[in-house]
Amino acid sequence: MGSSIVRQGLGAVALVGIAIAAEFGLELLIPDTAFRQLVMLALVNVVVALSLNVINGMAGQFSIGHAGFVGIGAYTAAIVSGHIHEKIGEGAEFGFGASFVVMPPAIAAAALVAGLFGLVVGLPSLRLKGDYLAIVTLGFAEIFRLVIATASPGTEATGLGGLISRLGGQQGYGGPTDTGVAQYAGPFWVVGAVLVGVLLAWRLKFSGWGRALRALREDEIAAAAVGVDPTSYKVTSFVIAAMGGGVAGALLACMRDGNPTVQPEQFNFLYSFDAITMVILGGSGSVSGAVAGGIFVTVTVKLIEQLQRLEAVELFRAAHPDFDLNALRMVVYAAVLIVLMVMRPAGVFGENEIFRAKPRGPAQPPGGGPPADAPAEAAS
Amino acid sequence: MSTLRLSRVGKQFGGLRAVSDVSFEVPPKSIFGLIGPNGAGKTTVFNLVTGVYDFEGTIQFGERSLAGMKPAAIAAAGIARTFQNIRLFPSLTVLENVLVACENRRRAHLGASILRSKRYYDDERDMQKAALELLEVFGLASAADEPSTSLSYGNQRRLEIARAMMLEPKLLLLDEPAAGMNYGEAEGLQKQIRWLRDEFEITVVLVEHNMQVVMGVCEEIHVLDHGETIAHGTPAEIKKHPKVLAAYLGEEVGDDPDAEAAAAAAIEQAPLSRAGVAAQSGVEAR
Amino acid sequence: MFDNLGSALLTGIAQGAMIALVALGYSMVYGILKLINFAHSEVFMMGAFVGLFALQALGGEGSPLLAGVFGTLAAMLFAGLLGTVVEKLAYAPLRARGKEASRIAPLVTALGMSVLLQNLAQLLFSARVQSYPQIIPIGETRIVIVVACFATMIGLWLLVHRTWFGKSMRALSMNVDAARLMGVRTGRVIGLTFMTGSSLAALGAVLYCLDQSPAYPTMGTVIGTRAFVAAVIGGIGSIPGAMLGGLLIGVLGELTKLTPYSKFQDVLVFAALIGVLLWRPSGLLGSTAVEKV
Repeated sequence: MGSSIVRQGLGAVALVGIAIAAEFGLELLIPDTAFRQLVMLALVNVVVALSLNVINGMAGQFSIGHAGFVGIGAYTAAIVSGHIHEKIGEGAEFGFGASFVVMPPAIAAAALVAGLFGLVVGLPSLRLKGDYLAIVTLGFAEIFRLVIATASPGTEATGLGGLISRLGGQQGYGGPTDTGVAQYAGPFWVVGAVLVGVLLAWRLKFSGWGRALRALREDEIAAAAVGVDPTSYKVTSFVIAAMGGGVAGALLACMRDGNPTVQPEQFNFLYSFDAITMVILGGSGSVSGAVAGGIFVTVTVKLIEQLQRLEAVELFRAAHPDFDLNALRMVVYAAVLIVLMVMRPAGVFGENEIFRAKPRGPAQPPGGGPPADAPAEAAS
Repeated sequence: MSTLRLSRVGKQFGGLRAVSDVSFEVPPKSIFGLIGPNGAGKTTVFNLVTGVYDFEGTIQFGERSLAGMKPAAIAAAGIARTFQNIRLFPSLTVLENVLVACENRRRAHLGASILRSKRYYDDERDMQKAALELLEVFGLASAADEPSTSLSYGNQRRLEIARAMMLEPKLLLLDEPAAGMNYGEAEGLQKQIRWLRDEFEITVVLVEHNMQVVMGVCEEIHVLDHGETIAHGTPAEIKKHPKVLAAYLGEEVGDDPDAEAAAAAAIEQAPLSRAGVAAQSGVEAR
Repeated sequence: MFDNLGSALLTGIAQGAMIALVALGYSMVYGILKLINFAHSEVFMMGAFVGLFALQALGGEGSPLLAGVFGTLAAMLFAGLLGTVVEKLAYAPLRARGKEASRIAPLVTALGMSVLLQNLAQLLFSARVQSYPQIIPIGETRIVIVVACFATMIGLWLLVHRTWFGKSMRALSMNVDAARLMGVRTGRVIGLTFMTGSSLAALGAVLYCLDQSPAYPTMGTVIGTRAFVAAVIGGIGSIPGAMLGGLLIGVLGELTKLTPYSKFQDVLVFAALIGVLLWRPSGLLGSTAVEKV
């Protein structure tokens, strides 16, 4: 099957080509910085949705603390990229060439640390029946946020408390010298992550592994009876989801023209809820659904931020100082989600994809000979 | 060396002693029947053997002790089963249902799925070929790409057996395979079970209410009642065993040979009506 | 030092008793529906607000007894209705579809209800914290709380073990289908369970706020999570378990305030949760269910 290698090689070249084109073309395509930032943010959220989709969609478990893994990735990447940036002494410039020195270790560290936390959180809760994963992930994300938020900078110099307090507490973390996070993640890295993420999610879903995961989701006992170990599959998919969340966090932290600090409040429960909305609106288990959901939710969030600045809205807010458009958005989202679950629980796309590649290696009918030959041979 | 050996096996559910002090050995390549009235603990024994519940006593599969092993590991070790109330994967196609059963044999599983190496495609092709051949054997190949829920009840049972066989087991546990079958179908099932054993050289243990099937196909029978062993022997011995007759008919049978013969005839009939009930409940359980 | 400890214990018991009242709602609903009612914490918060408005409308500090008693009752009544409405809107339609609905759907609607109520409160009452009137003298607050909570728990025990409703509820928690076949009107019992649990949460909310705590829209997340953890630690589905778990969380929480780690109270709460899940997943008083194959 030499053609498979050639095809894979060509595919890889095409992906790199698209990512490079994005790096240099995005600014020409979208001259407006705010709009460009929105696109980048939407793409990062696509990675968030793709990763959450592995556990909430494909594996049929329910994690509601995905923001925690994104946050861990963000802090890890901010620390790693900041230190490398200091070492290579690039100054205030975040060059494209230097990003190849900074981003790979930052992304890898973020994925690794988030995956490690995923293992610690997932192992006890996925061994159990029921909805424990939901609570434990929620609890974990809240602990993460609270631990960082409550540590006030500079109070404790030593030990674990000292390390955490260096993360800037509620004010946020701005790199080792507190001059802002090293923002090396240009369009190349963000677009690249989305492309790789879609490819991985697609291959996971349409593989033997994904098939076993679907079987497990439908009937755990029957799946175990044919040799699919529930705990190992569930924990693996949870760790993959956590790692993907970590990568998204790394991109979020280091995003070019993004927020100069990483703040604990970015990773609160509402962000987890937004991530769930992205997955469910598109359709749990659908890769294209996660992409569409990620973009849709991000755009509406930003749209509302823009609306807040409109004159009419500002006037209205002057009369009603407590009016909060974002709260209104959450009310609407939550209502939509409830109605969707009641009317069409599978989401907009269901588990289907917008387009579906034909499975390779078409199923040929068995050739001549006695039909039971092959299994008998394999068994002996 | 027996294929499966249970020795003083017990299981307690809260206040219920579901299985108590059960011991038997299943000889290699035999067809072995596990029978008893409703609630006798037959399916529980299957659940203990396949690791769904933990147990007291020892269960050995060949040389290997099954104590503490998880269901997936036991399946991988070579014990396959079907379920009383058919458990297929509804959203998967017929072919996919069978393919799931070979996942545990794949090497470098997750990595290969992602990287899509040559070996992944080779594995996938081999698996599909083997699965289709198996489906052909069970007469399901033409429905390979249909959703498994679209199959008739009898075909769903066949698919469940095909899926179990895809594990390439050494021991196959069938939980009421004849449920819902009429006389002719049950007749065919007996042939299929014998054929499975001969063709794949496996050992078969079946739990069954349909006495036509049990007496027709089993070489050795173990009888449970209220979780305890009441008899063990060949079909001919079991038909005449006073405790078995009492358990099924609810009365002691005297020494009178005529009465015994009448009762033996009755056991052929009475359990059949039970099987009818079981068949109905089997249909409802779906 | 000893005075501190004694005082902390009393405060802990008062806090724990309130947490237990909220935990009961989680546990009762989980017991019959095997559903984590994420919206419960927001019913608690809504109860706090309605209690506040009722107290103010009834004269507040001017007429402490009238305001206290009827304000609390109003909050309980409102929360009871709200809980039933939540059940009818978000859970009952999924139940009607039966087993075909995915296991995740009720979790999503539950979570959606929680987010909806919390943000609705923000729109209606603003994000500001609003203080309760001081209707009980500070020195006696904790005593009043403890007495009220324990009286309520005894009442609940009687309700569950001495009435037809309690019997139906227990039957439902064992086997919904069998209970229905035996003539239990499951829809009504489920509705009543939500109503009872929600009223208890509102009582807990009013008592919590009377103990010098303000009402604010996100208050449910903090207390609700603690209460949920209490329910799991005690054994979710078990009513005595929820009471025990609540008291444990309350007392341990107050004791941590005596140490330098007071900031990490909620971190410890979650550490306890994960510890219990690892060591004894069914909780201290819960029983393990065996899945039928």
